[in-house]
Amino acid sequence: MTESELDLGLGVLDHQLVDCNGRNCGNVDDLELTPLGDHGDSEVTEILAGGNAWRGRGWFGRLCAALSGDAVHVPWSEVAEVGAVVTLKRAAQELRLGLGDDRAARFVKRFPGA
Amino acid sequence: MKGFLQIALGILSAIGGFVDIGDLVFNTQAGATFGFQLLWVVVIGVFGIVVYSEMCGRVAAISQRPVFDLIRERVGFGAGFGTLIAAEVVNLMTCAAEVGGVAIVLQLLGGAPYRVLIVAGVVALMVITWTLPFEWIERLFGYFGLCLLVFAVAVIKLHPHWGSVAHGFVPSISSTNKLVFFYFAVGLLGAALTPYEVYFYSSGAVEDGWGVKDLRINKITSIVGYGLGGFLSFSLMIVAAVVFLPRGIDPQFLGTPAVGAMDAVGKYGLLLALVGMLFAVGGAAIETSFSGAYNLAQFFGWEWGKRRRPGGAPRFTIAWVVIFVLALGIVMTGYDPVKITEYSVIFSVVALPLTFLPILLVANDAAYMGRHRNGRFSNVVGIAYFVVILAVSLSAIPLMLLTHGGQG
Repeated sequence: MTESELDLGLGVLDHQLVDCNGRNCGNVDDLELTPLGDHGDSEVTEILAGGNAWRGRGWFGRLCAALSGDAVHVPWSEVAEVGAVVTLKRAAQELRLGLGDDRAARFVKRFPGA
Repeated sequence: MKGFLQIALGILSAIGGFVDIGDLVFNTQAGATFGFQLLWVVVIGVFGIVVYSEMCGRVAAISQRPVFDLIRERVGFGAGFGTLIAAEVVNLMTCAAEVGGVAIVLQLLGGAPYRVLIVAGVVALMVITWTLPFEWIERLFGYFGLCLLVFAVAVIKLHPHWGSVAHGFVPSISSTNKLVFFYFAVGLLGAALTPYEVYFYSSGAVEDGWGVKDLRINKITSIVGYGLGGFLSFSLMIVAAVVFLPRGIDPQFLGTPAVGAMDAVGKYGLLLALVGMLFAVGGAAIETSFSGAYNLAQFFGWEWGKRRRPGGAPRFTIAWVVIFVLALGIVMTGYDPVKITEYSVIFSVVALPLTFLPILLVANDAAYMGRHRNGRFSNVVGIAYFVVILAVSLSAIPLMLLTHGGQG
């Protein structure tokens, strides 16, 4: 295992996704890797968030995936910065992220003081 | 002034988190059963929570990430999800125990039917949580919880044999009922090192926007806040040892510790003890419901935080409301809150290693923490505590079964 592969696992996978407005909008639940030529190298092309992205994450992941919908695919080109969190270049809604919070907000905002 | 207000975060954690129903039950039962002999275990518990809360506050200040984010990052989705389930079960049980405690104390203060007071207590806690800002919740429960200091006054008025008290701080093992002794030792450690305290503390630090400049306040908060909690735990155990042990009273009722305060300080002592207990368990009920909501939101990457309006972190809000409603349902079955407390503390001990290991790993990670990573002292103490936590975690359930929950 190379150092860069180790960094991907520790430094990107399972990190919080934050949109350009500072909104928490999911986690990096899986990564889509595309092979580069015949040398065995690959590059990250997409972040998968939520839903069936958990399929490959063990027994609990399969259980959660079975109870959820499709994952949201975010192109790696939308990533602005990778640090303690993964910051995105655009707003969550434009990338179809954070939809669960949007739906829940419509319900919660019916109550006084919300 | 700002620094003083920030210490309120520690005071809330200390009173509502450290001295919660778990401490009231285990410290009083331990004192009534073994006298001063288990005081040294409380010292170990207090020192452990100081070390780990300082670590998770420092990690939150430097990385802006709370504990459950780190758990998932470090142990992955599968083990993280297992930890989430364990943490949520323990949070819910603890919240149910605290809610039951609120109803019992209200009953002692007012005398209305128990089940009516459970509903009234939960509704009051939910309204307070929904309407009041974070700072006001901290102050309301933190400062009224300080009424528990009446137990410290009671210790002085009871004139215990100070030589025997001092001897209790020297590690020793009871020559009789060894298994029961170890069961209470595990329970006292579990009551001191409850995982929800670190979830709440680190999430609160992120909500307060802590940064490098707040590292000093983090140190003061963890030492003063949890130190105060430990001081109250000693008082509870000493009062029980002096008042209940010689009379052969087995404190199986939550109101019993307050009788100890009354014995020493009179009717005002009883009143102060009950008010302190009400705000301590009420504050802890809010903390546990928040901890459960924080964990879920952080694990799945939702918006979270009490500093936002409920509509700004909607799934987080729904989560804490659901935890309160489920806790209400559990206590309404009529199951004894003291028994729920015992189970919740013992099960929380089982979940401790998966909570504390990621904190230790990240606090020691130079890539995350830079020059604020653990020093040699923090590492040695942190690793030593982790070994203790692991041993305690493995022995908790066998001890509970072998001793029939401390009954021998």
